[in-house]
Amino acid sequence: MGNVIGKKVRRVDGYEKVTGKAVYGDDLVFPGMLYGAVRYTDIPAGKITKLDISLAETMPGVKAIGLYNNIPGEKKVGPIRRDYLPIVNDEVFYFGDVLAVVAAETKEQAYAAVDAIQIEYNPIEPLTDIEEAVKPGARLIHPEYKSNIMVHYPLIKGDVEKGFTESDTVIERKYKTGFHEHAYIEPETVTVVQDPTTRGYKVYGSIQNPFTTRKVVAIFMGLNLNQVNVFGSTLGGSFGGKDDIINNIACRAALLSKLTGKPVKITYTREDSLRESYKRHPYIMIYKVGFNNNGKLNAMKINILADSGAYSSQTFFVTWRSVVQATGPYEIENVLTDIKGIYTNNTYTAAFRGFGSPQVIFAQESLMDEIAEICGISPLEIRKLNGYKQGSITASGQKLTGHKVSLDQVISEAVEKSNYLEKFEQFKKINASSKRYRYGIGLACSFRGCSLGAEGTDASSAIVSVQADGSVIVFTGVNENGQGLRTTFCQVASEVLGVELENITFLEPQTSTITDGGPTVASRGTIVGGNATIQAATIVKERIFEIIKDDLKVNNINETEWINGLIKRKDENPDISAIKFSEAAEKAYWDGVNLSAYGWFKGPEVNWIEETGQGNAYFTYVYGCQIVETRIDTHTGKIQVEKITAAHDVGKALNLTGLEGQFYGGITQGMGYGILEDYNIQKGEVKSLNLDEYLIPTIKDIKEIDPIIIENEDKFGPFGGKGIGEPTLELTATAINNSLSFALGRRSYQIPLTLEQVFLGKNLRKPARQSEVAHTSKKNKKITPRLSNISTRSAANLKDALEMIASKELKPLSGGTDIVVQARHKTEQIKLLDIFSVPELKGVSETDKEVKIGAATTFTQIINNEILKKEFPLLVKACSLIGSTQIRNRATLGGNIVNAAPCADSVPPLIIYNASLLLKSKDNERMIPAAEFIERHYKTKIEADELLVEIIIPKMAKKEYFTSYYQLGRRNAVNITRMSLSVIMSFDENNKIDECKIVDGSLFSRSQRLTSVEKVLIGKELNEALINASELPLKEKIEQEIGGRWSAEYKQPVFINLFKDALYDILNQRSEG
Amino acid sequence: MIDIKFNVNGKDLEISVDDSKRLLDILREDLGLTGTKEGCAVGECGACTVIMNGEAVNSCMILAAQVRGAKVETVENLEQNDILSRLQEAFLDNGAIQCGFCTPGMLMSTKALLDKNPNPTEDEIKTALEGNLCRCTGYVPILHSVKDAVTRMKK
Repeated sequence: MGNVIGKKVRRVDGYEKVTGKAVYGDDLVFPGMLYGAVRYTDIPAGKITKLDISLAETMPGVKAIGLYNNIPGEKKVGPIRRDYLPIVNDEVFYFGDVLAVVAAETKEQAYAAVDAIQIEYNPIEPLTDIEEAVKPGARLIHPEYKSNIMVHYPLIKGDVEKGFTESDTVIERKYKTGFHEHAYIEPETVTVVQDPTTRGYKVYGSIQNPFTTRKVVAIFMGLNLNQVNVFGSTLGGSFGGKDDIINNIACRAALLSKLTGKPVKITYTREDSLRESYKRHPYIMIYKVGFNNNGKLNAMKINILADSGAYSSQTFFVTWRSVVQATGPYEIENVLTDIKGIYTNNTYTAAFRGFGSPQVIFAQESLMDEIAEICGISPLEIRKLNGYKQGSITASGQKLTGHKVSLDQVISEAVEKSNYLEKFEQFKKINASSKRYRYGIGLACSFRGCSLGAEGTDASSAIVSVQADGSVIVFTGVNENGQGLRTTFCQVASEVLGVELENITFLEPQTSTITDGGPTVASRGTIVGGNATIQAATIVKERIFEIIKDDLKVNNINETEWINGLIKRKDENPDISAIKFSEAAEKAYWDGVNLSAYGWFKGPEVNWIEETGQGNAYFTYVYGCQIVETRIDTHTGKIQVEKITAAHDVGKALNLTGLEGQFYGGITQGMGYGILEDYNIQKGEVKSLNLDEYLIPTIKDIKEIDPIIIENEDKFGPFGGKGIGEPTLELTATAINNSLSFALGRRSYQIPLTLEQVFLGKNLRKPARQSEVAHTSKKNKKITPRLSNISTRSAANLKDALEMIASKELKPLSGGTDIVVQARHKTEQIKLLDIFSVPELKGVSETDKEVKIGAATTFTQIINNEILKKEFPLLVKACSLIGSTQIRNRATLGGNIVNAAPCADSVPPLIIYNASLLLKSKDNERMIPAAEFIERHYKTKIEADELLVEIIIPKMAKKEYFTSYYQLGRRNAVNITRMSLSVIMSFDENNKIDECKIVDGSLFSRSQRLTSVEKVLIGKELNEALINASELPLKEKIEQEIGGRWSAEYKQPVFINLFKDALYDILNQRSEG
Repeated sequence: MIDIKFNVNGKDLEISVDDSKRLLDILREDLGLTGTKEGCAVGECGACTVIMNGEAVNSCMILAAQVRGAKVETVENLEQNDILSRLQEAFLDNGAIQCGFCTPGMLMSTKALLDKNPNPTEDEIKTALEGNLCRCTGYVPILHSVKDAVTRMKK
């Protein structure tokens, strides 16, 4: 075995993806197609007292508006409990609830009509804290269910109280995890087309679980399942996230299709997606554990509250997996777990890769390290002592047999490959003497039940259809999300039939052609779909065998080998030649053999007793261990992940490229979950609405990832393979947390580990003002940000430009990278004057005394300019860190200055270099020092009839200057600068500081020279005493400028750290030079 | 409405469009070139990356008026005469593609880099791709692909 299985092969769907030919949901166009848009609520909780669509209905291009009363079938949907309203009635439960849907001829017409819908509310105080929501007497989110506790799973094993009394030590810890957004790069999209042949609909789009979509649409539209046919388009990523929300969008599009009689496409903006789509459940977990002084665990009592948000959705399933796995892979005699899913007015929560495991792993693996420390043993020893072995009994009373319990193996391989023991000692040594940077190494391990387990019906389907020419079509009930499932199943079919991979195609899914294969979730695709494919392929193989066995003079299929398109005798005979598969297929076809077969895989028996949480939860398990090395900047709280070693037991590697991809991708997502991804929602209102605020890792945030593939073939898996999609994500955040604890000597009980969380031990939030909560729909507000109302004029030269701008009606457009983003929110007419190509505004020139930079010079041009690199290194450094390459290719120096964002990175260096700005109007010109030009955020001294033409920077005196520049961002690229510091210094012949300039960035309301600090430094020798002495005037300055601000608690001490570091940096440069 | 003359994938075009349209909309809607994708509309994700006048840009931030006179290259231009470019082959052979949605943007950012700098350092590659977000691959296979492409293109 192993002709194609276990090999690196090209994806079968790779060609269309590298050529741009792959058809994703938004690429689809149908004749007569209309565009749909949704009207969101303005408030997170309350009643709707008025919903007036009369104006919207009459707007140009509008064909229909769908409301609650137009719904032909069930108004409420949901996988278990039907509490979700794709279109609400007279009450809203979270910020992403939809009040109305509009279909119009163009997208802009639909959005414009949405804006014109008038709504009035009676808002109520949103209930957003799960610890409050669970209390008796708390306001009921959905009174009809009589409780905010929408599910409760208990698990009772042994007697915890007895276990505690028998323990040497008992401790209790509380852990918190936050919302987590899937952030698939493709936003949600669904197109619904009427199907006269069924009097129903065809549904296309970014659909993860076509059968679930079919069911929900049928229910909502009052149809039979056989009247809705769902065709998944090429899917641009899902990670569990394109399930319920897609079903709901499909309902809305179907309704509009019914009302208009036309195809309707709804494609979401990123803002729609971040606002409405479900997230990973935040958990609050209290773990009480009793253990002996040698580290042996006796008893564990776990209380978990899961924030289900406004709707129940998948909470039943997510919390069930948590109750099974909450203790982690450890033998504990006495366990009492209670997990509750709680309704709140937050964004609702559901499936996301991991599905209830990353949260409990965070708690349990952080806890293991802490217990180890208390007992004076290593993180390895405690896991060795307590970890599952062959035959161990889980918390749910399941004996782990029938598969290889490889926990020990994954840990040892990760430990060995990563040099864990050596690094452990090495980092301890380094940290003992290190001041600013500390190094950490952390470990986390897990066990994970494969597929749906006792929570679900675990069956799946496949069709293998051999054609008369020997080419093969494979078709399964599980769906390609991008993970490579199509390729894996083609490999499986190829392995069974011996047909070359290029002669096998995987058919695009459509629900009417194959039995419901269950959702593509739970890392079950390979096991269930793979097994079903093997079965189907084997049936066809046996039928073909019957036709050619006489030709080969064999009796039993085991005497043959099917490989490379041939069918051969294993026992070779020179007189009997091999038969081509294609010829065998043709012969069988003409013989009337049925060359298509159905494969059906049903997962082995599992069971569960609700009241006690006991049973054989899953039919098999996988084990994983990740070790992470980090470097922590204790002066800012920034975590740099240096290396991740990941060992995962996958049963058998089928699709090797796909497998490695799951390692790299899952780990990167897990890293984001642990450090960067901070979904900001306050009092139910979503604040992080696009990817500039919700930060996911960039290519610069990933250093080294070392995957270790461990294969212990599983009797249930296709060729022994199990699953990998989720195990790789669930461990990384916790391993990072454990490495952080190692580095700092103190623990964090909360993720994400943002800068503030690491530095201060808590997260900071801009407080939401009560006045911001709307009572009515705001006038002149765009519900959906997008460009509209723009008119542009162009100028060929500066004279024309100044002529045109004299009217004060036009706004200059340079690179556009700020204006375009801002214009998406504006409702007024935006009249722009394109000056990007005006020749007089371009270029860099120099004289003896100064350098002139045209205002429309891009950052790319600046950072590549030899004059600027030589004369003004701080400016070049700062500009090189702005945005991304694409942004630097367009964004201009002038644009950056005039936009005057608080984080404008070019401004501090311009101030430090004493730059002046040349402003011209039609009849006038004036110079303003850069330091005086900006008044405050987004406000400068420029007049409406002026253009910034040139930036003039005097050359520095010919002596030695020492510079230091630091820019703090949350990640390693494309940041909104958190704060920056620019320093220039020079010394006289007596080693005293004679010139000193210090400028802040993103700290004060406008960047400025810190003259009160500079004064303290001038004329003195730079040494430790002076650096310490300069701290007080700096502290006072910061206190005076931003003392009362919510961010000061972080910014003040960090800026002081960065300042001192800059001075030490210069001190080092001096001693080295 | 404005009239714009520009060149896409070697073809001269003249069209009349709404001022509010972006290059991304013109490509996808007016020209049917749907290979270039929209992921965020604010220049963060890079899924809309095309090469304009020799440089990688986010087409979601280029207003129609600024397309005038431009030479634009999209992912559809990489395959010529039914032959994939060496860059595309390298991506296919190194697992750089999972869901594929970021792929056109990644390819164009890479091409823009290699057109100017056929022998980039790892740091230069990462800088060229820092504005292209990927959620599936964890970037490592993409980095391998670009390095492989560099080698293939030297031959």
